Amino acid sequence: MLPVLALTVIFSVVPLVMVFDRSLYRGNIFGTDLSFAGLANYREVFSTGGGHVLAVTAVFTVGFVVACMVAGFCIALLLDIRLPGLRQVRAFFVIPIVVPPVATAFIWFTMFEPNSGLFNRALQGLGLPQVNLNTPSTALVAVIAFGAWQFFGEVVLLYLAALKSLPGDVLEAASVDGAGPWQRLRYVRWPLLWHQTALILVLATLNGLQTFTQIYVLTDGGPQGATQTALYYVYQEAFGYGTGSIGLADAMAVILFGISILVTLSQLTLINRRTA
Amino acid sequence: MRMRLPARIAVYALVTVSVLLVLFPLLWMASAALKTNAEIIDPDSPLLPLHPQWSNLSTAWNTVPFGRFFLNTAIFSITTTAGWVATGMLAGYAFAMFDFPFKRVLFYVVLSGLMIPFTVVLVPVVQLLADVHWVNTYQGLIVPNLASALGCFLYRQFFLAAPLELGEAARIDGASELRIFWTVYRPLAQPMTGAFMIIAFLQNWNNFLFPLVVTNSEKLMMISQGLTIFEGQISRVTYNLMMAGSLIAVIPVLIVAMIAQRRVVEGLALGAVRG
Repeated sequence: MLPVLALTVIFSVVPLVMVFDRSLYRGNIFGTDLSFAGLANYREVFSTGGGHVLAVTAVFTVGFVVACMVAGFCIALLLDIRLPGLRQVRAFFVIPIVVPPVATAFIWFTMFEPNSGLFNRALQGLGLPQVNLNTPSTALVAVIAFGAWQFFGEVVLLYLAALKSLPGDVLEAASVDGAGPWQRLRYVRWPLLWHQTALILVLATLNGLQTFTQIYVLTDGGPQGATQTALYYVYQEAFGYGTGSIGLADAMAVILFGISILVTLSQLTLINRRTA
Repeated sequence: MRMRLPARIAVYALVTVSVLLVLFPLLWMASAALKTNAEIIDPDSPLLPLHPQWSNLSTAWNTVPFGRFFLNTAIFSITTTAGWVATGMLAGYAFAMFDFPFKRVLFYVVLSGLMIPFTVVLVPVVQLLADVHWVNTYQGLIVPNLASALGCFLYRQFFLAAPLELGEAARIDGASELRIFWTVYRPLAQPMTGAFMIIAFLQNWNNFLFPLVVTNSEKLMMISQGLTIFEGQISRVTYNLMMAGSLIAVIPVLIVAMIAQRRVVEGLALGAVRG
């Protein structure tokens, strides 16, 4: 290897390694903390409502993922139909992904304003109860809806790309054999898309677990912790209040990391089983 | 296969609905940004501003130092994006093209960076920055965000698939390794670089959590964090200014995204491969 290249490697790889080394090193600090302080931090996390936080995280993430996947898949199927103009429509679905979440969070905040906000006007018009950010159950629904809105465009675009790459002759053969649109979807396209579905599922789940800005502006984890996800707990314990505890934040961060890895691995195993 | 007219009308209707699903919050914002505050709070007021208050925009612009925020955001996004591309490309190239000691181990280190969500190591990173007194500084904001494991991974995959013969030929012609990288392989990766760059730029531009915990001085604030001033300082009553401020923050990003729309779509697909 030439010296010049050695230098390139050093100046590019080493900073990278340093960055990751740091993250690993920190991981070790958590580890040594654990062995010395025992599981005290973890016990305290759970005795101070950590179980509730994890439940909120689960509800939020599942709701977020389901909403994104269902809306994204249906809209992608719709846009995949060959009609003039539909290709150009794709551009719109880039918008929610790229606009600053703080700005959109303000927008959603005003749309949930009692009586005068867009949603509550519509809900009232339909004779339904209003969504209030100060009521625990509806606040969680509101945060899920907003989080999903910001992300579903990505699901649309990824599914569209996947649909475009399906082998046309297989679909044609299915039509020739007399398969209707529903049958083609159920027995041909859906199984062919399985691999992509699993990948998008991983992506959406990790995104859901890392949702921060939306919660920060809309509810700040409230009311009464109803929208306090694991990541939000980490933030609040470490940086939020003067009374927070770094130890608790770290413990929850490790739990969050464990969940992320577990989710990713189990979903990836799922793909491999189905495709094998 | 031709569709009947009713079916076609149904498709277009559904497409319109789904586009509105994307756009309605932005339309609501644009409308509210031009209303008086009394109109926004009044449940019976029309949805559109009847007497557009254009002055809201200038008032919002003057309420917080937007110019400063935009400048800070630009500095942050440009340097970090350049860092992502440079480190990603060079490291990925090295991993793909050369053998060196501990290559496998080093690559696993990079992969672990992909697996560890940044939010998980947020607390230790901030503690580390505090140790070297980098909290509330530009370098504290920028340096931890200079490298991208995703970039390294993507470029490695790309260069692994690149033809070796091109480099061989150049080597025989006496080109230095650096020159081979710069004039032969770097241009090959250009389309991917474009897509990666735009998506990195947008992601860094919108970064909120990290700047939030590393800075608290208005001089260093980025646009997203700056916007929250509308929520805190002015109290939640001035919705119209909040919306006008949001509008100011959204428009530049929207323009960039629309111009580079195809690249953005490609970039999103790149980001998805890591799963």
